[in-house]
Amino acid sequence: MPAIRCQGLTKHYGSIVALDNLDLTIEEKVIFGFLGPNGAGKTTALKIFTGLSRPTSGKAWVAGEEIVSHSRSLQSKIGYLPEEPAFYNWMTGREYLTFVGQLFSLSSGDIVKRCNELLELVDLSRDALRRVSGYSRGMRQRLGIAQALMNKPSVLFLDEPCSALDPLGRLEVLETLIRLKEQATTIFMSSHILADVERVCDVVGIIDRGRLVVESGVEELRQRFAHSVFEIEFEEPAAPFARLLEPLPWVEKVKAGEEGNVFKLRVGARDVATAKVELPRMIAESGLTLRQYQMVLPTLEEVFIELVGNRKD
Amino acid sequence: MSSFFVLFKKELRGQLRTYRLLIVVAVFFVFGLGTPLMLKYLHALVPAEDVAISIPEFTTADAVQSYISSLGQLGLIAAILVAMGSVATERESGTAAMTLSKPVGCGSFILAKLAALAVTFGVAIAVGAVGCYLYTVVLFGNPGGFDFFIANLLGALYLLFCLAVTVMYSGFVKSPIAAGGLSLVTLAAIAGTAGLPGMKDYSPGALLSWAEDVASAGGPNSWWVLVVSVALIIITTLIGWQVFKRKEL
Repeated sequence: MPAIRCQGLTKHYGSIVALDNLDLTIEEKVIFGFLGPNGAGKTTALKIFTGLSRPTSGKAWVAGEEIVSHSRSLQSKIGYLPEEPAFYNWMTGREYLTFVGQLFSLSSGDIVKRCNELLELVDLSRDALRRVSGYSRGMRQRLGIAQALMNKPSVLFLDEPCSALDPLGRLEVLETLIRLKEQATTIFMSSHILADVERVCDVVGIIDRGRLVVESGVEELRQRFAHSVFEIEFEEPAAPFARLLEPLPWVEKVKAGEEGNVFKLRVGARDVATAKVELPRMIAESGLTLRQYQMVLPTLEEVFIELVGNRKD
Repeated sequence: MSSFFVLFKKELRGQLRTYRLLIVVAVFFVFGLGTPLMLKYLHALVPAEDVAISIPEFTTADAVQSYISSLGQLGLIAAILVAMGSVATERESGTAAMTLSKPVGCGSFILAKLAALAVTFGVAIAVGAVGCYLYTVVLFGNPGGFDFFIANLLGALYLLFCLAVTVMYSGFVKSPIAAGGLSLVTLAAIAGTAGLPGMKDYSPGALLSWAEDVASAGGPNSWWVLVVSVALIIITTLIGWQVFKRKEL
């Protein structure tokens, strides 16, 4: 049984179409990354899945329950972290988690135990007795993650879970998500940080202007676009060579970088056949010392930009 | 523990921690004590040569009537100010979405807010009433404990009605100011109906004049006012709940 499924999910805000006939099927125990530019409809979809918003048309099911606005039965099975978690500022972190535990009708003993576990998990044990008003944005985000896990949800909805975290905090959250998946939790996360999605997600869906552009496994998606990227390393600065490539009709884009004494180029090809012939020839003629030349899998970011980045309104 | 009691407890703790409970109690206590005190020493406060008209000697009934009148006016303003952001602020900040993504009914959410506000104002009215009663006894004479108690209950019912209307509007709109404005207009209109022929026996606005009558000279019981007021409190709460349930969070 899929953990999340929707058919023809549509949401209008007046004349604005936030979601347009969205069809999705997400199996259990996977981490699903929901990607899209700002205003693509990610948060709208999340709010419908969590029962906080009603679709204009279409149906959705989460954890076997058909979604009805504010369904208690559904909400007892899910966890939700909004993009900017909001708390009662007069509460301490521990008090907020206790309050959430009570809303899930957990026993006092279970609440204390779960609070301790979660505070430890999100590294807030030392600040548990401080008022939330004194928390930094990262701490609020971590408390938001903790409250979303209070009921050990079978489906977890996270809207930009890593957006306010430092690199270490992000890493810890991503590791937590992987552990949760191992414990049979299905995770649906939207994110702008494509490297994070690439790191933890099994499946991604890319949405643009309310429409699903693609839904696929991360590896499968990268393979599908693998033909078009060449990674080249030189021992000398490669910027002049990059400038030479940029105007050529068979070149999609060129990205230059360097790592110590190694100068790298990532060349996206519009015409792969021509690129395969022309690139080696041009490299030989450039006089640069070649260290490495290979066709590589594109990053998720490159796939994302290829799919939605060049859209014209 | 049902979600209503969890939310109710949270609301009460919030009112304590944010000092709203303390402030409301202090306001009611000050005007409870101040009303009989001011009437008693009005002569001393306003020198006779400065006023063209003579100030009459005030009685126990005057002190109590003045207190009930203040309860209606200051209480109304306090009720609107405290309740206008109760739901609107939570919708705007996102705390409502966080709470309502848990297994919590919108009805419990609204009802817990109204119940906690009712407790706050109940405590405040009780404290203000005790202060007013003691000072009235000392400065003017005993107004009659039972009648004074009933008058305060009627005043409390009027403020509960004001709170129910304000909480309802607070669920309608995201702006506390707009909720407060709508409440003020509605409650002023309802208070105005108490003076209209035929409406006087039914309007919740007539609760205060009934309370004044009960506390001072005694007067006819207006049971329909009571019935209509309780019915309107229930109806506004139900409307508030149903409208809030349909709102996007």
